[in-house]
Amino acid sequence: MKKRSSKAVQLLLITSLLASCNKPAPKAESQAKQQVFMRADSTAQYTNVTNQYEQQRSGTGGMGSALLWYMAFRHLGGGMGYASSGIKPQSVVGTNTAKSNAYKSATTRGGFGSTAKSSNASASS
Amino acid sequence: MKIKYLTKDPNWVKRVEQLGYGYHSEDNIPYWIDHYYYSISEKLVDQIYLATEELWQMCLKAVEYVIANKKYALFHIPNFIQHHIEKSWENDAPSIYGRFDFAYDATKNQLKMLEFNADTPTSLFECGVIQWYWKEHFFGNKKDQFNSVHDRLIQSWKELKPYLKGSKLHFSCVKESLEDLTNVEYLRDTALQAGIDTKLIYVDDIGWNGQHFVDLEDEAMTAVFKLYPWEWMVNEEFGVHVINDLTEAQWIEPSWKMILSNKAILPILWELFPNHPLLLESHFNDPKGMPSYVKKPLLSREGANISFVYNGRTIYETQGDYGEEGFVYQELAALHRESSGYSIIGSWIIGQEPCGISFRESDYPVTTDRSRFLPHIIE
Repeated sequence: MKKRSSKAVQLLLITSLLASCNKPAPKAESQAKQQVFMRADSTAQYTNVTNQYEQQRSGTGGMGSALLWYMAFRHLGGGMGYASSGIKPQSVVGTNTAKSNAYKSATTRGGFGSTAKSSNASASS
Repeated sequence: MKIKYLTKDPNWVKRVEQLGYGYHSEDNIPYWIDHYYYSISEKLVDQIYLATEELWQMCLKAVEYVIANKKYALFHIPNFIQHHIEKSWENDAPSIYGRFDFAYDATKNQLKMLEFNADTPTSLFECGVIQWYWKEHFFGNKKDQFNSVHDRLIQSWKELKPYLKGSKLHFSCVKESLEDLTNVEYLRDTALQAGIDTKLIYVDDIGWNGQHFVDLEDEAMTAVFKLYPWEWMVNEEFGVHVINDLTEAQWIEPSWKMILSNKAILPILWELFPNHPLLLESHFNDPKGMPSYVKKPLLSREGANISFVYNGRTIYETQGDYGEEGFVYQELAALHRESSGYSIIGSWIIGQEPCGISFRESDYPVTTDRSRFLPHIIE
C-alpha cells in the first residue's frame, strides 16, 4: 500500500524561533514580580511589557507560549527588525535612520485590518 | 469510521507546545484532542480523495459560470473589484490551497459538501504538523494517515515560484490571533523550504504610498499571501487600492476565490449540477419547500448566524454579526455522530491535489471556532 502521509515533517522557522525563545532567562533578583522589557531595535530604549507578560502567562509557569509566539514573530520583518504596537514607538525605531525615515514618509498605514479589529475576529475559516 | 481511544499521554501539552502549537486549548478546554482519534478505512480515504477532486473541478466550472454571466450581485461583490476578479481568473493567478468541509453519513456511505473554505482556511498547522507528529508519537511507521499536507505545500510553492512577481513573497495576517499567525508562519515556513524569499507583515501595517502597497521598510509588495478575507479587504479603506496598485501585486489567494468562499456558490453549484450526489440541495432567498434545512449567511465565518430548521421548526441557532448580506438555504445534512459529539471532515486541496484530512468535533451539529480537532489513522 502506498503511504498517504508525509515522509518527514521538518520546520525551519517555527521550531528555530521557539528554540531561541526558550533559552533560559537570567534569574530575576526578586521573585516578587519579574520585570520584562522589550525593544524592536538595538538602538532603541526598552519598553516595560511586564503587564502584558503577566496577562499571558500560561498555567504551567514560565512565559506564556502565546506571548512567546506573539513577540517572537514580531521581529521577523527583515534587516530593520519589526514594528510592534505592543511596545512604545520609541522602542521600535531608536536611532535607526532608515527605519525612522520609513515612518516619516508619506505612506499611510492601517487601511487594512479594521474589520478584524471591530469584530475582534480571527480571519480564519 | 469510528472513534478509538488511547492511553492518555500526561505530557501531551508539552509535546505539542514543543512543536510550536500554542492554541491547543482555550480556557483550559482542549481544542486539540490527543487521546482519541478517528479510525478510518483506506476505502473511505479513496472516497474523500475522489470527492475532493471532483468538487474542485465543479467549483472551477462554477467560477467560470459566475464570471461569464456576471452573477456578482448574488455574491454582494462590489463593482470596483469585479474586473480584478476577472483578470485574476484569466491570468490564472497563483492559488495555493482550500478546504472542503464534508458531512459523512456512514449508513449511506455518503459524503456531502457542506461548504468550501476557499479563501482563508485554517487548521492547516494542526493538520499538517501536529497531527503528523501525533501519529509518529503513538504509532510510528506502523500506521498511516491521509496527510501529505506538508509535502504538498512545499511542492506547490516550488511550482508557483517561477510565476511569483518580484523577488519576495510577503505573508500577512491579523495581529491579534495566535491561530492565524501560526498558520501563516507555517505557510511561510514551507515557502522558505521551497526556496522562496519571504517577509512577514501584519495586515494593518501594510502601507499605501499612492502608487503601490509597501511593507514597513517601504519596500513595494509585489506578491502577498494574506490570511485575511477578500470580503473584508474590499470593504476597507485600502480595498480600492487593490485596483489602483501600479505594481498590480499578486494576492494569494487570488480575488477570484471571493466567489468560492461565498455561500452563494452553494445554490450556484446546485443549479449547475442538480441532484449531484456530493451536493446538498441549496437555494437563494427561501428553502423552496425543503422541510429541513440550514439557513446560512452568505459571508458567515466559523459557524456564526446559522439556523437549523427540522421539519419546519427552528431547533438550533448560533449568534453572530452576519446576515445583512442575505442568506442561502441548504438541505440539512446528517452529520456523523459518536458519543463524543458530531463530526465533519475537512479535506485539503493544495496545489490542485487532495492531500489530507482533519476532523472537527462539536457538541452540537454546527462547527464553530470552539469545535475540537481530532486526528485520524488509516487502519
